[in-house]
Formats: sequence, structure tokens, C-alpha cells
Amino acid sequence: MYPQPEPRITRTAERQWQALDDDRLVGDAEAWRRRDGRLFLAVDSWHDAAFAPLVNAMLSALPSPLHTIVDASDAHLNSLWEQAGFTPRRREGEYVVPTDVDVLRPPSGVTILPFGAAEPGPLEALDRAVRAEVAAGIGWQEMPAEVLPRHDDSTEPVPPPPVDPSRYAVAVEAGQYVGLIRVAPVPRQPRIGLVAVRAGQQRRGIARALLGHVLESLHRSGVPRATAEISETNAAAAALFRHFGAQRVATNLELVRH
Amino acid sequence: MSKISRGIEMEGTVVECLRNATFQVELGNGHKVLAHISGKIRKNYIKILPFDRVLVEMSPYDLTRGRIVYRYRN
Repeated sequence: MYPQPEPRITRTAERQWQALDDDRLVGDAEAWRRRDGRLFLAVDSWHDAAFAPLVNAMLSALPSPLHTIVDASDAHLNSLWEQAGFTPRRREGEYVVPTDVDVLRPPSGVTILPFGAAEPGPLEALDRAVRAEVAAGIGWQEMPAEVLPRHDDSTEPVPPPPVDPSRYAVAVEAGQYVGLIRVAPVPRQPRIGLVAVRAGQQRRGIARALLGHVLESLHRSGVPRATAEISETNAAAAALFRHFGAQRVATNLELVRH
Repeated sequence: MSKISRGIEMEGTVVECLRNATFQVELGNGHKVLAHISGKIRKNYIKILPFDRVLVEMSPYDLTRGRIVYRYRN
């Protein structure tokens, strides 16, 4: 058992706190605002006696609601946040998918434009349209790729950055863009951030063809695996990735305190 | 004004991803420690995988435990 002396909490910056045991640093905490305007907290402490005072210091200094992200398998950390009044908001599986897959043909009449080949204007219009149509679960609009840190203090969401065609493969039918897949080019394990098909074109195998195309492209580039985060409420997306042999390796839990 | 004492930081290599969001890390001196990831790593959605080179801050209470505070670019 660790000794658990009562720590002294000091605020070291606008959104940073420290817990001190005599002059030894036994914990620190930080808050940051995401692109969507929400405030997230992170606490690192070497014993439980430092955790609650750090959280309480932030709760009394920051406006609600406040959020945090934890690994769902870390029961102890989860219980500390729950004791501070935080409750689950979104649960997300972290998947690893192999890229060594069989090549899939898209449905008849549909072609796949590879990375970088889509026209920016129609691609941006498709991106906006699928975001408006898709309702895959609470928090979908605030997926990690959309919530890069921001540097101002506004609580207003900022618009997503312009789409970069080099990160997208696109399904086209009769000259119309009907589906897309976006991949963040993380060198050792690319992250598949979004797979979406227009509402009227779903259940035809377009998403499967898009994902198969991307995985096969990555495989040809020498990348053996990719990752994706999928909300637990999005059974269709989980089934799509499992079709290609994806394995769930972790679960992220977003907690909120109103 | 007294100086704040921070934990010792050591470089190491991730040997194994364990349950409960912890990792076994072999330090440069050959010792193995159990480490969890820091809030800053989680905040930035940085993935930790076997063979990653990482910076571990050691617990001031238990030198067999630590937290991963940085992942080096391999």
C-alpha cells in the first residue's frame, strides 16, 4: 500500500494544478478545451489522496460540463472519477484491423477514387452531407479527429478544417460522390477516421468496398495494420470492421460531469 | 522558496501491453516496471505499442511502478 498523506494543492497556471506532499510533486492536473468547445480534464497522481483534491480544485475553478477520457478497463481510475461525480457519456471500442485482405469489387456502376483523386469541392459537399445524415451515436460529431486542441477560449464549436483529398478515398456512381473513407496517415498504424455512405446508397456494399480498397492500398504500401475507434452503439460499423478481421483491443470511456 | 522534487524519468522500451491499461516497460538499466499512461498521452490519443521507446516517470513511492509520459518517434 502507498502512504497517502494529505497533499497541498496549488494552481500553477490558468488550467494547471499540482499536488505537493511537502515539496514532492505527487500529482498534477490539466484542463484543455477541444475544438468543439468542450473542456476536458486529465489528472495524474501517485496516490488516491492526491486525486480527489486535484479534481475538486478543478471543479471549483472551471465551468460545467467537464469531460474526461479513461480506459474502460482501468476500474480503479474509473471509480475515482465516479466518486467525483462523473458519469459515462460515450463508450468507444478501439480496433486493430489487418490490411492483408481479399480485394473486393465495388457494386456494379460504382468506382472507387483512390487517395488524392477526388475533387475538393464535391468531396467537401459529400463530407457535409454524410455528417448531416449519419447519427451513429452520442458524440459522433465529436470524434477524436474532429476535436483537435484549440488555442482560444471560446465555448463555440469551430468548423472542421477543409477536407484534404489526399486523406480520402471516394465511391462514385454516375458522376456523383456517394461514399467516402478517411484515413489519418499515422506512419506506423494509420487511423481510419470515418467511413460513410449517403443515406440512399447504403446496404449495397459500398462501405465494404471502400474499406477493402483502403486496407489493400495500405498493405501494398507495406503497412500491416490500421486502427479505428467505433462507438459501442454503432453495430453496423463494428460489423463492417469485423468482416475484415478487426480485433477489439481496448475500450475508451468518455465521462462527463454536468 | 523550496524546490519541488519531481519523479525520476527514465527511458525504456515497451515489452508488453497488459490488462487494466498498464504496460510492462524495460528500462535502459534492464529493470522492468509496470507503467500506465499519463493523462497527456491519453489526451492526445497517442497509441502505445510493444517495442515503442518511451519516457517513464517513476513513482516516488514504488520504483517498480511508473507512468509513461512520452513516446519517442521510432
